[in-house]
Amino acid sequence: MMGFVDFAWLVPLVPALCFVIVGLLGHKTPEKGGYIAIFGALFAFVMSALVAYDYYTSDAYKLGEAIIIGPIEWLNIGGLSINFGVYIDSLACIMMLFASFISTLIFVYSLGYMHDQGEKKRRYYAEVSLFLTGMLGLAVSSNFLEMFVFWEVMGLCSYLLIGFWSFKHHEGDDASDNAASAAKKAFLVTRAGDVCLMAGLFVLLYAFGSLDYDYIFSNAQTVYANNPTLINIGILLMFGGVIGKSAQFPLHDWLPDAMAGPTTVSALIHAATMVKAGVYLVARSYPLFVTSSDAMLFVAIIGGVTAIYTASMALNNMNIKRVLAYSTLSQLGYMILALGAGGYLISIGMQEGNQALITLGTMGYAAGILHMINHAFFKALLFLCSGSVIHATGTEDMRKMGGLRKSMPITAYTMLIGSLSIAGIPIFSGFWSKDLVLEAAFAPFHDGLGMGSVFCVLFILGMITAFMTAFYMFRMWFLTFMGEPRGHCHGESPKTMTVPLMILGVFAAFIGLIVLVNFSYFIIQSLAPGLGGALADLGLYLGFHDSMHILEEIFTNVWTYVAIVLAVAGIAIAYMMYVKKPYIADNFDQTKKGFLYRLVANRYYFPQLYNQISWKLGYGVAKGVDIIDRNVIDGTVNGLSNAVVGSGEGLSQVQTGYVRDYAAYVVIGVLVTIAVIVLMVCYGGGF
Amino acid sequence: MDIPILSLLVLIPLIGAILTLFMGGTRTKYAKVVALVFTAIALVLSLYVMILPSSDLANLTESYAWIESAGIKMSIIFAIDGLSILMVFLTALLMFLVVIFSWNEEDRPNYFHALLLAMEVGLMGVYMAQDYFLFYIMWEVTLIPMFFLISWYGGPRRHYSAIKFFIYTHVASLVMLIGIFGLVFGTTGGDFSFAAVAAGADLPLMMQIFLFGLLFFGFAVKMPVPPFHTWLPDAHVEAPTAGSVLLAGVMLKMGSYGIIRVCLNADIFSAAFPYWQPVMIGLGIFAMVYGVYACIAQNDLKKMVAYSSISHMGMVLVGMGCMSEIGIEFAIFQMFAHGLISAALFMVCGLAGHNFGTRDMRLLGGMAGKAPKFALFMMIAFMASLGLPGLMGFIAEFGLLYGLWEYLVSVNLTPLILLGLLYMLLTAGYYIWAMQKTLFGRLTDKIDLEHAHDIGNIECVVLAVLAVLIALFGIVPTLATDYIMTFAGGIALI
Amino acid sequence: MIGMEFFLGFAAILFAIGLYGILSSKRGLVTLMSIELMLNAANINFITFASYSGSASGQVFVIMTIAVAAAEVAVGIALMLNAYKLNKTTEVDDLSTMRW
Repeated sequence: MMGFVDFAWLVPLVPALCFVIVGLLGHKTPEKGGYIAIFGALFAFVMSALVAYDYYTSDAYKLGEAIIIGPIEWLNIGGLSINFGVYIDSLACIMMLFASFISTLIFVYSLGYMHDQGEKKRRYYAEVSLFLTGMLGLAVSSNFLEMFVFWEVMGLCSYLLIGFWSFKHHEGDDASDNAASAAKKAFLVTRAGDVCLMAGLFVLLYAFGSLDYDYIFSNAQTVYANNPTLINIGILLMFGGVIGKSAQFPLHDWLPDAMAGPTTVSALIHAATMVKAGVYLVARSYPLFVTSSDAMLFVAIIGGVTAIYTASMALNNMNIKRVLAYSTLSQLGYMILALGAGGYLISIGMQEGNQALITLGTMGYAAGILHMINHAFFKALLFLCSGSVIHATGTEDMRKMGGLRKSMPITAYTMLIGSLSIAGIPIFSGFWSKDLVLEAAFAPFHDGLGMGSVFCVLFILGMITAFMTAFYMFRMWFLTFMGEPRGHCHGESPKTMTVPLMILGVFAAFIGLIVLVNFSYFIIQSLAPGLGGALADLGLYLGFHDSMHILEEIFTNVWTYVAIVLAVAGIAIAYMMYVKKPYIADNFDQTKKGFLYRLVANRYYFPQLYNQISWKLGYGVAKGVDIIDRNVIDGTVNGLSNAVVGSGEGLSQVQTGYVRDYAAYVVIGVLVTIAVIVLMVCYGGGF
Repeated sequence: MDIPILSLLVLIPLIGAILTLFMGGTRTKYAKVVALVFTAIALVLSLYVMILPSSDLANLTESYAWIESAGIKMSIIFAIDGLSILMVFLTALLMFLVVIFSWNEEDRPNYFHALLLAMEVGLMGVYMAQDYFLFYIMWEVTLIPMFFLISWYGGPRRHYSAIKFFIYTHVASLVMLIGIFGLVFGTTGGDFSFAAVAAGADLPLMMQIFLFGLLFFGFAVKMPVPPFHTWLPDAHVEAPTAGSVLLAGVMLKMGSYGIIRVCLNADIFSAAFPYWQPVMIGLGIFAMVYGVYACIAQNDLKKMVAYSSISHMGMVLVGMGCMSEIGIEFAIFQMFAHGLISAALFMVCGLAGHNFGTRDMRLLGGMAGKAPKFALFMMIAFMASLGLPGLMGFIAEFGLLYGLWEYLVSVNLTPLILLGLLYMLLTAGYYIWAMQKTLFGRLTDKIDLEHAHDIGNIECVVLAVLAVLIALFGIVPTLATDYIMTFAGGIALI
Repeated sequence: MIGMEFFLGFAAILFAIGLYGILSSKRGLVTLMSIELMLNAANINFITFASYSGSASGQVFVIMTIAVAAAEVAVGIALMLNAYKLNKTTEVDDLSTMRW
C-alpha cells in the first residue's frame, strides 16, 4: 500500500517548483510571488507532518529502520554509480518538520517585513523557495553526494540572500559594498569547508565504494577496522565541512558579517535552518563518526571552544543582530559539543563493549538534536523580534533604542520569552536541552574515561557560556525595551509580523517539553540502523530515554541547579548594569581602550587574519604568477619569434641589390667550393 | 537508410560557407539568414544522430577512397561514436547559437558567416575523421577561419594576436604531423586509416614514447597546457565574441579529443603510457593551479575567463592522465560541460564589453542594478564554472578530482590532492570576487552609464538556452553520460 | 693537332674577361655582354671536350646554350629598355630598389 511516506520526495520538490514559478512569473502575482512561496512552505510542512506520522506508525520505526524510497540512478559513469533516493527516519522527520514549519512562519512574516521592497520581492521569494528546497532536500537525502548537492544549493541561496541588498541598497552605496563583501565572505569561507567535505566524500567513496547512507552506516565498523587512519582522515575532512557550514571555530567569522542580509534571512538561514545543516550532518553520519573516538573528541573540543569563544564576542556588541549572530554561534557550539561528547561515549562504549556508556552516549546525541530543535524556535523568534524592532526604529544600533516595551508590547514580550528560553530558565525550552547538553559534556569526566579531563574543561567552558548567554541576552533585552527611549519608533509592527511572533513565542516557550513525551527515544531511533548490534537491546534505551528517567537525570543533578543559579545571576547582573545603574555600563564604555575590550570588539582580530592569509596566499601568489606569465613564459615565446624575425632581418642585409655584389658572391662561392674539393682530393684521399 | 548523414554534417556547412561567401553587395544582409538555415540543418542532423540507438551508430560509418598511389593510401572515413557524438552535437549547437548571437553583426556579415561555417566544416571533420591524414587536414581547416575571425573582426591588437595564434598552433600541428607520419610509416607503411594503424601497430618502446610525445605536444598546445598556453589569452581578448565562444567551446576540445582518440589508444601506445602518465598528471595539476592563480591576477573579465579555460582544461588533462575508466569518462564529460559553460562565459564577457564599453573589473561595479538580466546570466555562468552542484560543472569536477584521488592513492602521493582542493577553493574565489567587483556594491561612475544597457532579447534567448542546458545536464547527467558509456566500452587502458 | 690546352686556355681567358666585365662595370648593357662572353667561354669548353672525346652530346648542349642565351639577351635587353624608360638610366647600381 502506498502511504504518504512514498511521496516524501514531494517535500523538497514542491518548493523547487515554487522557485521556478516565482522566478519566471513572480512579477505578475500579488506580493511578487510571496503567496506562492508560502504555499510551497506550507505544503512542505503538511506533507512532512503526514510523512512523519506515517513513519511513526510504520513497522520500520518499530524495528529501528529507515524507510528508503526508490533510489534512482543519478549518475553512472566510470564504474561509479550514484543513487539518489529519499531516506526517512526520525532524524529526517524532525528536520523536515521544524524547517518547513519555521519557514512557513518566516515567509508569512516576510509579507510584512519585505512589503516595501517592490520588484525585489520576486527575487527574494524565489531565492527563499530555492533555499527551502535545499534544506528539505538535505533532510531527506539518502546519499552523501545527494546531500552535498543540496548542501551547496543552500550555500548559494545563503550567498544570494546575504547579498540581497548588495546593489541599490536603500541606505546607500556603503551598505551595498558591505552586503556584497559579506556575501562574498560567507560563500568563500563556507566553500573552504565544503571543499574539505568533498575530500571527505572522496575518502568515503574510496573506502566504501558507495556513498549510500544505509550501506555506509551498516559497514562503518568493518571498514574502520580495516583502515582506521583513512577513515579518521575522512571523518575529520567531513567535519571540516561542518565547521564551515555551522560556522564553528576557526571558520566562524562569516556569520556575524552575514547579518548584512534582511533580518528574515538571518532568522531563516543563519539561525534556524542552514547553519543547522552542519549539526545535522554530524548527527546523520553518527554511525560513521562514532567509529573514531579521536574524531569525536576533536568534534567536542571544537564545539566547546566555539561556544565560549563566540559568546564572549556578544558581551559588548551594540548591534542587535550581531549579538544574536554571536549567540547563534555559541549555541551551535553547544550542539556540536553535545554530539561530540555523546559520540565519544558511544565510541568508547563500543570499543569496550560497555552498554551503559553507549546508552549515556545516546543521551548526548538526543541532547544535541533537542537543542537544535529548541534553538531553531527560540532563535528564529529572537531574530524575528529584532526584525520587528528594526522595522519600527529603522536602526540596528541598540544605543538608539530603549524603552520600546511600551510602544511595541507584543514584540517585547515574545522576545522576552525567547531570551528566557535561551538563558535556560526552567520550564522554557532552552532549559531542558541546555541542561542535557551540559550533562553529556560532563559524563565522560564523571565516568572517568581516558580523556575525561578534557571534557571537564569543556564542561566548565559550557557553564561559563551559560552564564554569559544569560547576561548578553538580557543586556540586549534591557537595552532595547527598558529604560528611556533613545530614538524614534513608529509603533508595533503589522499583523503579518506579530502573528508569527506569537506562534513562535508559544513554541519557543514550550517546545522543550517534548522531552516529557518520550521524545528522546524517538530521536535515537535514527541511530539504530547504524549501530546495529550495539543497539540490539532496544529495551535498555527505552528505559533510559523514558521521560521520567530523563527528568530524574536532570533534577537529581547538582549541576542543573548551579546552571540555573548562573543564568539568574547573569540576568541580575545585566539588570544591574543596564537598568538599575546604567552608569556602570557607561564606565565600561569610557574604558573602551582596554586591551580586552578592543580584542573582543575586533573579534580577536580574526577578520584581519583572514584578510592577510587570503591576500598573501591568493593575491600575492597570483601577482607573481601573472608576472611570470607575462615576462617569462610569454617573454620566451615572443623572444623566440623575435629571434627568428631578427635573424631573418640580419641576413637580408646581404641583399644589397647590386648585381656586381651578387656576381662576386657567386665567384667566391665557386672558388671556395673548388678549393674544398681540391683540398679533399689532395689531403683527404678522395671523396 | 542510405543517406550519408555524416558526410552531410560536413558538406552542409561547406555549402553554406560557399553560399554566404558570395553574398556580397546588396545581398549581404541575407547572409545571416543563410547561415542560420545551414547551421540549423546541421543541428537537426546532429540531434537525429543523438537520438539513434547507440547500436546503430556503427552503421553510419562512411568510407571513400581518396588518394591511393605509391603505397600511400589516404581515405575519407567518417564515423561517430559516444565520444564524437557529444562533440559533434556541441559544435552544431554552439555554431547555431553563435549565428543567432551575432545577429546584429554589421561588419561584412557575408565573410563573417562564411568563416563561421568554414570553421564548422573543419570541426565536424576533426571530430568524425577516422583517417590520420583527413584528421590533419580538417585540423588545419579550423585554423584559417579562426585566424581571419580574429584578424578581421577582433579588438585593437588583433593582428598581433591572430598571427601569434596562427604561428603557435601551426607549429604545434606540424609537430603533430611529423608524429602522424612517424606513426603511419612505422606501422602500416602508408595506410593512414585509424583502423589500419591500430591493427598494424607493433612499435618498439622508444618509438612509442617518442611518437606519443610528438602527438601529445601537438594536442597539448591546442588544449592549451601551460607553458604552451600564451596564445590563448591574447587570442581570446582580441577575438570577437563569436570567435571566443567557438575557440573555448569547441576548438580547445580538439586538443583533448585528439589525446583521447590518438594518444590514449592502447593498441598503439600501451607501452608508453606508464612513462607519459606522470607527465600528463603533473602538467594537468600544474595547469589547474597555475590557471587559477593567473585568473586571480586579471582585471579584464575576458582574460580571466580565458585563464579559467586553461585551468579547467587542466582538469581534463588530469582526468586523461589518470588513464582509468573514471578519469577518461569524466574528462569527456568535462569537455562537454566546459563547452557549454565556457560558451556562456564568453558570451557574458563579450556582452560586458559591448554593453558597458569596458570589461575592466576596476571600472565596473554595481551593474546588477543597472543590468539585471546581465547579472543573472553572469551569475549562472560563473556559478556553473565554479562547480556549483545542480549544474554541469560540479559533476565533472567531482568525478575528475575523485579520479585524481584514486590515482594519487595508487602512487602514494595522496597529499597532492590538496592542490586539487586549492583549485576548487580559488576557483570559487576569483569568480565570486569578479562578481562582487562587477555586479555588486557601489554603482560605478567610471563608465559612461548613459550608454550602458542591459542585454537584448536575442542574446537573452541564446544565454537562456545555454543556461537551461547547463542545468538540465547537471540535474539529469545520464543524458550525457549514456553516450560516454557507449564510447568507454571500447577503450581498454592500463 | 692543336693541343687541348690552347682551347681551354682561350676559353678561360674569355671567361676571365667576362667575369671582370661583370664585376667591374656599372653599365647594364656591358654586364649583359659580359655574360655572353662567359657563356661562350663555356660553349668553347663544351665543344673542345666533345671534339676530343668524339661524343656529340657536348655539341647538343652548346646549341641549347645558344638558344637560351638568345632568349636571355632578348629578355635582358627588354628589361634594360624598360628600366631605361622608367629611370632614364641603365646603370645597375641605380636599379637596386628591388631588394627586400
